[in-house]
Amino acid sequence: MGMRLSPPVKAAAQRLTLPMLVFAAGLLTVLGKGDVLLVDKLRMAVADASSPILQVIARPLSAASAAVATVENIITVYRQNEDLRQDNERLLQWEDVARRLGAENADLRRLVKLVPDQPQSAISARVIADAGGAFMRNVLVDAGAGDGVARGQAATTGEGLVGRVSEVGDRTARILLLTDLNSHIPVTVERTDQHALLDGDNSDRPRLMFLDPRSSVQVGDRILTSGSGGVFPPGLPVGQVAAIENGIVRVEPAAELSRLDFVRLVDYGLGGVLPENAVPPARPAKPARTRTPVEAER
Amino acid sequence: MARVMTPRDTGAPGRIVPFVSTFVFVLVSVVPLQLPGFAAVTPSFALMAVFHWTVYRPDLLPLSAIFALGVLLDLLNGTPFLGLSALTLLIARTVVLMNRRHFINRDFSVLWLVFLALASGAFMFNWALVSALDRRILGTRPFLFEAVLTVACYPVGSYVLARLHRAFLRS
Repeated sequence: MGMRLSPPVKAAAQRLTLPMLVFAAGLLTVLGKGDVLLVDKLRMAVADASSPILQVIARPLSAASAAVATVENIITVYRQNEDLRQDNERLLQWEDVARRLGAENADLRRLVKLVPDQPQSAISARVIADAGGAFMRNVLVDAGAGDGVARGQAATTGEGLVGRVSEVGDRTARILLLTDLNSHIPVTVERTDQHALLDGDNSDRPRLMFLDPRSSVQVGDRILTSGSGGVFPPGLPVGQVAAIENGIVRVEPAAELSRLDFVRLVDYGLGGVLPENAVPPARPAKPARTRTPVEAER
Repeated sequence: MARVMTPRDTGAPGRIVPFVSTFVFVLVSVVPLQLPGFAAVTPSFALMAVFHWTVYRPDLLPLSAIFALGVLLDLLNGTPFLGLSALTLLIARTVVLMNRRHFINRDFSVLWLVFLALASGAFMFNWALVSALDRRILGTRPFLFEAVLTVACYPVGSYVLARLHRAFLRS
């Protein structure tokens, strides 16, 4: 330090440091709650900057956890084999049904001269940071605005909905998981077609809120997105009812949220309630590495 | 007050080791460690690093560095309460600094117990502050779990830091 301070002044300055920094921390908290936009930008700037380092750290760790999973698998290989055999049989039957339905669907569309759905585009991204905190659940992924990611996109794995994009940087994006305190997702109970809201409360099993008190929800009922409010398209698998205690319905998410490695960010092109030709075509983002168009069946 | 270390005691590269190691610990605490059984909480490695360096070389990890790293941790976490980690780490440092002479020369198990007390205090503080700021009483279980996990992982973090300390700092 270049400044030359006399010892008493220096001592006083040192004593002031802690209160000043505590005050600064408090100020930041207030600022964070107040000017949310500025803080969001700052957060994403830091995330973008840290992304290369985080990716470097994440790769070996994900390889390590894959190795651990392999060991786990080897230990339980016999039981798993049997489970998989049964699953396979079941799925082959569903494949048949799906094929038939697909053909029927195509016929009906032709008959009705229906305009095909807008092509959806999916961006694959790796999870590079996981805020597994006690009061929030979100993850950072290594795809950003430059790859076509936008706020509000749905994040899914093969098994189901994971959350939605809450902040976007140039190279990174933050996904608010459906278990987070601030996650509210409109859903339906598949069996009874009742609408409800899936509220995260930072536990592993979010709650179903605003369900009709006369409802007959049972453990094992599948929960899907309802499409209300144009937040997500309807029919995305969310989870299953796991428990009903004291009138509180808890849902076990279909996706394995504690082991997220890769997620798909999907832009369903939802423009809310607009006429067909008023919805703009898919965003012309830079051709990024892993964009895969998912086209509706013709 | 801390014993004053003269610059002659430490080589130039050694001086940044506390800061850099704490920085790396902050990053590691944010990267997902997907071990089976560890649901969705990661140990607070940042607290371990601040504890270690405050006990042994507080001059090399000053308050301003801790503040900056705490803010970085908050930014990476995406927490809505920016500054919370900074505040917690600053208070942790102050408390440890005031009492370090009692345990600085004791063996590892004593330090572990001290860290247990520190982590409990830190997480209780976190819980209380977040509950107050969010205006609802949050469940204590996730905080408890994270505190237990942090204390359980302390030997690992402490071992790494001790090795770095011996390698780069001649004190």
